[in-house]
Amino acid sequence: MQKRALTRRSFLGLSAAAAAGLALTGCEGERADGKAEVEIVNYKMEAASYFEGLEAQFNEQSDDVFLNFDSPNDAVTIMKTRFVRDDYPEVVAIGGDATYADFVDSEMLADVSDYPGMANVSPAYQEIMKSLTYVPMDGIYGVPYVANAAGMLYNRDMFAEKGWQIPTTWDEFIELCETIKAEGEVLPLYLGYRDTWTILSPWNSMLVQLVPEDLTRQVNAGNAKFSDYYRAPAEKLLKLLDYAEPGPLAYSYNDACTAFARGQSAMYPCGSFAVPQILQVNPEMNVGLFAMPAADNPDDRIVVSGVDLCWNICQAKSDKKDSIYKVIDFLADQENLQAYIDDQKAIPCTEGDFTLDPLFDDILDFIDEGRLIDYPDHSYPSAMACDTVLQGLINDQDVDAFLAKWDSDWQRYNKTVMRTVQEYEANQG
Amino acid sequence: MANNTVPTKVKERVNWPITILLMIGTLTVLFPLYMAVVIAFKDPSEMTNDIAGILSLPATWSLDNFIEAIQVTDFFHSFLNSLIITVVAVVVSILIHSLAAYAIGRNMDKKKLFKGSYYFIVAGMYVPFAILMMPLVKQTAMMHLDNMFGVMILYVVFYMPMNMMLYTGYLRNIPTALEEAARVDGASTWTTYWKVIFPLMKPMHATVAVITGLAVWNDVMTPLVIMGGSGVNTLPLAQMSFQTQFGTNYNLAFASYLLAMLPMIIFYIVAQKQIIGGVTNGAVK
Amino acid sequence: MANLATSKAGSDRNRTFLMILIPVLVLFVAFNTIPLLTGFFYSFTNSKGYGPFEIIGLQNYIDLFQDARVGNSYLFTFKLAVVSTILVNVLSLILAIGLSSKIKFKSALRGLYFVPRILGALVVGYVFTYFFTYIVPAVTGTDSILASADWAWIGIVVVLVWQACAQTTIIYITGLSSVPEDVYEAGALDGATGWDKFRYLTFPLIMPSITTNMVLVMKDMLMVFDQIVAMTGGGPANSTESISYLIYENGLNNSQFGFQCANAVLFFILIAVVSIAQTKFLNSKEEQL
Repeated sequence: MQKRALTRRSFLGLSAAAAAGLALTGCEGERADGKAEVEIVNYKMEAASYFEGLEAQFNEQSDDVFLNFDSPNDAVTIMKTRFVRDDYPEVVAIGGDATYADFVDSEMLADVSDYPGMANVSPAYQEIMKSLTYVPMDGIYGVPYVANAAGMLYNRDMFAEKGWQIPTTWDEFIELCETIKAEGEVLPLYLGYRDTWTILSPWNSMLVQLVPEDLTRQVNAGNAKFSDYYRAPAEKLLKLLDYAEPGPLAYSYNDACTAFARGQSAMYPCGSFAVPQILQVNPEMNVGLFAMPAADNPDDRIVVSGVDLCWNICQAKSDKKDSIYKVIDFLADQENLQAYIDDQKAIPCTEGDFTLDPLFDDILDFIDEGRLIDYPDHSYPSAMACDTVLQGLINDQDVDAFLAKWDSDWQRYNKTVMRTVQEYEANQG
Repeated sequence: MANNTVPTKVKERVNWPITILLMIGTLTVLFPLYMAVVIAFKDPSEMTNDIAGILSLPATWSLDNFIEAIQVTDFFHSFLNSLIITVVAVVVSILIHSLAAYAIGRNMDKKKLFKGSYYFIVAGMYVPFAILMMPLVKQTAMMHLDNMFGVMILYVVFYMPMNMMLYTGYLRNIPTALEEAARVDGASTWTTYWKVIFPLMKPMHATVAVITGLAVWNDVMTPLVIMGGSGVNTLPLAQMSFQTQFGTNYNLAFASYLLAMLPMIIFYIVAQKQIIGGVTNGAVK
Repeated sequence: MANLATSKAGSDRNRTFLMILIPVLVLFVAFNTIPLLTGFFYSFTNSKGYGPFEIIGLQNYIDLFQDARVGNSYLFTFKLAVVSTILVNVLSLILAIGLSSKIKFKSALRGLYFVPRILGALVVGYVFTYFFTYIVPAVTGTDSILASADWAWIGIVVVLVWQACAQTTIIYITGLSSVPEDVYEAGALDGATGWDKFRYLTFPLIMPSITTNMVLVMKDMLMVFDQIVAMTGGGPANSTESISYLIYENGLNNSQFGFQCANAVLFFILIAVVSIAQTKFLNSKEEQL
């Protein structure tokens, strides 16, 4: 570290013109004031200004730890390049998704099950973190901070005005869609399927209610096939097309958010994460989120929820855990976390007396009871690009071909994982 | 222009049919440009999903988007960094690549080493950046080049194959008789190059400057992986902040892109004059 | 040319040329060849690009030839490249001749036609997807071609051609500018006009520019990436996944770095062979003229 700072400085002498820009990079290595530096590289750029405020606050009150909170553009790429350079920040803040699974798989992250504050993290989110890794792991490699939820976004004012009720079963849902379609004023749904990842929102929300939770691990262990379970969700995914705009493959996520915000559709199968984009177009909109009614029994409904932001300590910096935990404690402080969820319309992963955004009013029970499951796509291998396979299903409308392709692609892209899982199972006896 | 040197030349008249055809053709450029400008001035709440909505003029011609874009991207800092990188990369590329192309171009017809070097370098054009990226990240860090200086070096190397091709192609049209004359007068190869050949390649310098300059100016991957996260931003790096994981503010982004575009247009127009100026020089010979 | 050099080339001249060549080669090897060789090494591993990895021999190459998605991306990319390269060169040459003739508002027109090259991929992608999604269907009453796995590639071609013409045109303009005026004047005295003037005077003299442009455009088209990201993201149903897109997306974002390095190596070899063949062919045409 020291050495690098020196060469940077000597370079300044070489190129006076570049000095203005480079002078900013000085803050590496040990600090002159004796404080231990904790650098957090955060992928959630949307919250950058909020964290800047917290950073200043922390540094004012702490006498032994200096917090350097950075929210660069394309942070995940930057994290990977820093790993390559052996230039590890203390903490990487990412979502609980494939990136997390990859980082754990590459042994980049430290086990944080010894974090005292973990006791306050709701068990549902601890479970979700554990379910993310490719193979079951004993430890937990990130402290969940906030979560998001997916289901059906709906236009509250429109529903109230028309007297529509929130459907709780698949049949009620279809009935509602038929009613809206018959009235002909607005579309029941709007879909932005040109951006493949948006297909995953309805897919995930339906999947959790229609297939066993551990299906992916069962397949990886060689005990099951997707085609035996995925027919119903695939057919329901296609059924949604009947109630959306024609040719949804032409429209992007952005188009769909705009259309929904402008009242062109009554509902939009997406997640809480899309709300800021929707409000950007229509700041006055009253958006709600209800659990996707994919099952026949209302009690079978489950909300898909994923960790949107968690704190992950780099393995190489695990000797600084004490300082790092101080920072995480501070960030998880009731007041600070409440401010974050107000700012970002997020769900806290910590238990406590929080006030959630009205957006979540219709799923509060689910959150309180922990009827939450992680996005099933988080256990799909990223290289398989499952979202494009789903786009293929939308395009071809051929469920049989889709099921066959899914199983065969899975074998192709998941070889390594399957081998590891099967070895793991064998060892477990 | 050439009239001065060739007095007998019949004065050409303006070719109006071609002018008019070309003006009609510019619609293909003006229409997208119009859309970009209109979007840059609109508020996000004015964005709609129909033709009328997108083609309509903004409710007010307010500069708010531009001002916010300047703040969000820390425009003047990022702009300065981009400018330094681009100018250095372009100037060094012109000097080194033209010189290398001269050495190679004048020898490749008869010497295996030079011909081999030509194909070796030009083949570099086909290396997908994605394969070089991670190894380069490691390598530049080890060499302490994970900074603006390293990014400049990489650009000089990345655009070498293309520029090598452009310069050697252009050199074919420059007769060797000129060099011969200079050499007879006792000038060294080195002097001959800088005094005779280099100035003759002016139109190609302008072309190389424009192509390399633009590619460097707009490039985001190289600075991202080589010096990303260091706090030093180039303009395209800073502009990435308009696209977050779950949302894009097209209005701000477009305002910012238009701002970033202006210096390039000016640069291009200046460079164009050099290309046209080159015709006169060529005609004198 | 050869005569001059062999008869008069002193050792001084040769030494100067070597002194120029060697540092340039060193620079090139250091920042292009060495990382390429490193990447080549990774193609025999299961690396994610960072972190520990294992050497897995030829497995990536074996997988490569069994991967339908990779195969598709090659077919798509080559189809796209051939069509766009021809279109770009024909249009640019016409445009360059127009812009080099005696016209009014020359600077302004040249400036305008260059604008597409300056606009960033996000702007171009957004504007054109809007064009194909809302404007074209409204005018023609058809569905958006970007939503069709069979036709989306046409949309990409349109954007690629629109954007690539700018750069190709200036290379042609530069080429045309190196055609000495007196050639035309001599031709004018012989009564050469219009097509004849082009065929017998301009064409042979700009043949080097044609070679350069064919190769450069072909290369740009084979390596198309930005426009795919901005317009279709490889869809619908993987129908517009270019090779570079796949290498980048899966190699760096989706942790298939080792595998995609193998893909990049294969791609590099293929594309280098194609362009050498192309150059050889065009050079032989040049000599015939």
